Amino acid sequence: MTVLYFASAQGLTNLKSERMRLKEGSSVKDMAAEMLRMHPDLKDIEPTIRYSVNFEITEENAPLRDGDEVAVLPPVAGG
Amino acid sequence: MKSARITRSPIDPARVLALVSDREAGGAVLFLGTIRRKSAGKTVEGLTYEVYRGMAERRMQEIEDRVRKKWPVVKIAMVHRYGPLKVGEVSVAVAVSCKHRAEAFEACRYAIDTIKGTLPMWKKERFRGGTQAWVKGAPIEA
Repeated sequence: MTVLYFASAQGLTNLKSERMRLKEGSSVKDMAAEMLRMHPDLKDIEPTIRYSVNFEITEENAPLRDGDEVAVLPPVAGG
Repeated sequence: MKSARITRSPIDPARVLALVSDREAGGAVLFLGTIRRKSAGKTVEGLTYEVYRGMAERRMQEIEDRVRKKWPVVKIAMVHRYGPLKVGEVSVAVAVSCKHRAEAFEACRYAIDTIKGTLPMWKKERFRGGTQAWVKGAPIEA
């Protein structure tokens, strides 16, 4: 799957996106754990992060599939 | 014609208002969000908006659908800028026309509040002296 990083998450990882390979049957929660393992600097902001899968905000138990686009969304401030 | 809702180009308020002009409407409300000079006591030189564009475009459509479900809207137009903006520039515009003014005001207020809460957008403030910081924001609403 592809993981996209925005705003402060992009600054803390120095990445706009990356490919991630997870075991079959993994969930958003598993993805988040792997992300924190690779990018421990995200730990401080993780409680405020929401995740979208293919443009929809999802629960942490939502299952992931191979071609999914997962976005790491820090608190938003549009307007 | 559908005009872009997420754009890097300057917003022309007259054009946004013209998009909701309709002979069935008895009133139109236009809201403009503009870049303020002061933020938490500090002098701001400008803002840079970042957007998750694919999701933001979808969410704009969802907001329009939600507004139309709640009020008898004749026409609605919404546009949000991204990229670097200067103090005083328009960052977001919402125009709504309805048969009557009360529903136009309510629908416009709901649309801008929902834009703020549900669009995947972030802003970084550039302060005088060169420092920059992400605006704190709130967790995105479903």
